[in-house]
Amino acid sequence: MKTRHNTGTQAIIVILTTLLALGAGAPGAAAADFPSKPLQLMVAFPAGGGTDVAARIVAAIAEKQLGQPIVVVNRGGAGGQVGWTDMSRARPDGYYLGFINLPALNTVILDPERKATFKADAFVPIINQVLDPGVVWVKADSPHKTFKDLLEAAKRAPNKLSAATTGILSDDHLAILMAEEAFPGAIFRIVHLDGGASQMTAILGGHIDVAFDNVGGIVRRVKSGEVRALVVMDTQRSRFLPDVPTTPELGFKTVISNSTRGIAVPKGTPAAEIKKLTEAFKKAMDDPDHVKKMEEQGLALKIMVGEEYAKYYRELHAKAAKYTEWARTRPHK
Amino acid sequence: VEGLQHLMTGLAAAMSVQYLLYAFIGCVLGTLIGVLPGLGPAAGTAILIPLTFKLDATGAIIMLAAIYYGAMYGGTITSVLINVPGEAASVVTCLDGYQMARQGRAGAALGIAAIGSFVGGTFAALALAIVAPPLARFALSFGPPEFFALMFLGMCLVTGLAGQSLVAGLLMTILGLLLSLIGIDPVRGAPRFTFDVPELYDGLGFVPVVMGLFGVAEILLVIETPFRQVVDTKIKGLWPSRDEWKRSTGAIGRGTIIGFVLGLIPGVGAVIPTFMAYIVEKRLSKHPEKFGTGVIEGVASPETANNAYANASMVPLLVLGVPSSPTIAIIMGAFIINGLTPGPFLFKERPDLVWTVIASFFTGNVILLILNLPLVGLWARILRVPYQYLCTGTLLFCILGAYSLKGTVFDVGVMLVFGVIGYFCRKLGLPLAPAVLALILGPFMEKSLRTSLEMSAGDFTIFLTRPISATLLACAVLIIIVSTFKIAALKTLRTADTQ
Repeated sequence: MKTRHNTGTQAIIVILTTLLALGAGAPGAAAADFPSKPLQLMVAFPAGGGTDVAARIVAAIAEKQLGQPIVVVNRGGAGGQVGWTDMSRARPDGYYLGFINLPALNTVILDPERKATFKADAFVPIINQVLDPGVVWVKADSPHKTFKDLLEAAKRAPNKLSAATTGILSDDHLAILMAEEAFPGAIFRIVHLDGGASQMTAILGGHIDVAFDNVGGIVRRVKSGEVRALVVMDTQRSRFLPDVPTTPELGFKTVISNSTRGIAVPKGTPAAEIKKLTEAFKKAMDDPDHVKKMEEQGLALKIMVGEEYAKYYRELHAKAAKYTEWARTRPHK
Repeated sequence: VEGLQHLMTGLAAAMSVQYLLYAFIGCVLGTLIGVLPGLGPAAGTAILIPLTFKLDATGAIIMLAAIYYGAMYGGTITSVLINVPGEAASVVTCLDGYQMARQGRAGAALGIAAIGSFVGGTFAALALAIVAPPLARFALSFGPPEFFALMFLGMCLVTGLAGQSLVAGLLMTILGLLLSLIGIDPVRGAPRFTFDVPELYDGLGFVPVVMGLFGVAEILLVIETPFRQVVDTKIKGLWPSRDEWKRSTGAIGRGTIIGFVLGLIPGVGAVIPTFMAYIVEKRLSKHPEKFGTGVIEGVASPETANNAYANASMVPLLVLGVPSSPTIAIIMGAFIINGLTPGPFLFKERPDLVWTVIASFFTGNVILLILNLPLVGLWARILRVPYQYLCTGTLLFCILGAYSLKGTVFDVGVMLVFGVIGYFCRKLGLPLAPAVLALILGPFMEKSLRTSLEMSAGDFTIFLTRPISATLLACAVLIIIVSTFKIAALKTLRTADTQ
């Protein structure tokens, strides 16, 4: 009986060892058939917004590449903080992906008042999709005809000219600080609104003088003649606003601002899964269907993959740190 | 008129099969909720709001609005048949409606109520279509200071008019405002009152809170009331007699006007128009002594006023973005869930949605009329289902609904906690309307206040130097002063009564 029992134990041990060996081989095995179930693509803004629309376009194409459905999940709130908090806590198994909007994510992490529960390294950027350059615009009948006019007016009467952002420490807020830095003496009265729609009503209603915003949201209004774009804050002219000069053209080389949106995964996601996801999304973004649909939305593509995107993320973080600190110590709040 | 043109376009959209279906479902569910004793329009819309999540924004709002006026009508049925008002606005209907039922004229009472509701609702919707566009155009020039002043005025009206005591009203307003502060600061991004609970970062969900305050609390209150046996009354002859018709037409006309005008003022509530309409009829009548013994004018007039009020109360919401009652606040919640902010800009940006919703009030009123005349018998039978089954079923539905919001148990907890809070508030006579309005308007008020102050670099006089904002604030102060007197007058009246 005793020997028998031993054999039994041995058998169990053998089985366990085999299972363990299989288990050790599991990551490789899993990567081979990854993905084997639907994936989640988190968007930290409400459905119907710019990030959401672009996410759904790319998800519909990438799921054909991956052979599994991609479910877009909107976790809006607190300027993206709610969704990113969720993402930083998600299980890093390759099935959870999320859109990161820069520099919004950077400033959420950098601003101590936000009490964010995650750091910059909580996310591994894998591929960037959109780069929406910053733009300065006014109501069509505004007395400020050029960007220079505007800065001079802000210098003549400091803290009088009201300028709307799309949120505190948004790329638009940082752009105002960059403009003030490039034109010493100019000080805007900064008004933080909660998005492009609020800017439009406040400016068209004549309550606020100028908006710092992104090209994507205003192309239609510029074409209809309701608003006038003064300058695009990018190194090259926007295809959507070809007649509007850029900041470097006007001599403001340091005033470069934009909002980028790309896909990241939580820290700890296995390299093999990341590789597979990157390849699938790269193919999806190069797809003519994707290019065409994004063009229709007025969203400029800027595909940055892997290390290139990661480097961009790190460098932007350092730049955002400087302006975040400055925004916090600026005497005119 | 421009409004009527839009209304025709909206009507075409509202007549599409899917929107008619949503309006129909809304009317049926609303009437059902109205029939269940204790559960009124606020509970109905609060409990059923999760049902609308899968619909598009227009469909969701059409269905909720249909639930709202369906419940207004459903309350009438119980008033007439068992002398128990299904909701507060049907209290007056009991006086003559139940007497009519005892005389075997239940059918005529319910018939005239349905017809009166239809006429009142339809005319109010028509008047809404004419009044709304110019008002919305005027409000388009509003900036953040004007919107702050407007919401402040709306809140003062609700605080001043709701309940018996100004102190209780203010208390509940402040409670609502405090609750609305939970979450991430909308301007600076700092977490407030979140106690490091991640679920609170996005604030307390409006829907689980109202489901608790109105749904769960009402169920708790219903459990306490004894079950009423329905007397087996045969309902026949829904069509009023010629004499009854003659006496009702004037009453319906006056009820429409009273309901519509009072519906435009936030905070009046659904009860006052019905009482006012009843009193006016009694005063004008040649035989006022017969009121209370089963006269048809006593049913026709308040029931008409009731539905005219319901449609008119959509005006402040659609045009200005200020809800005038808890039910309307819940409908506003449905707009917000769908990423829309009701108000003049929505009128301009999404005329398709706004006009389809307004047009659905017409289709909804027709559906109610068709639905109720033949189905009265069925509704009466539902009254025989014992409360314990009804309450358990409703509570189960609430829990499912709260869970389905975001798929978290946290929201179920929020709902249950607020159910208990709502129950005690009702027991203590604390009005819930100001709290709910403050909760939903709080974030908008805070944003417009802070944007205004950013515009003025921190100078509070911005609210007084802009004429529209100064006028609105002056009105608000006036309302508070007047309501102190009103309440004082009520108190002296009551002491005089008891002496």
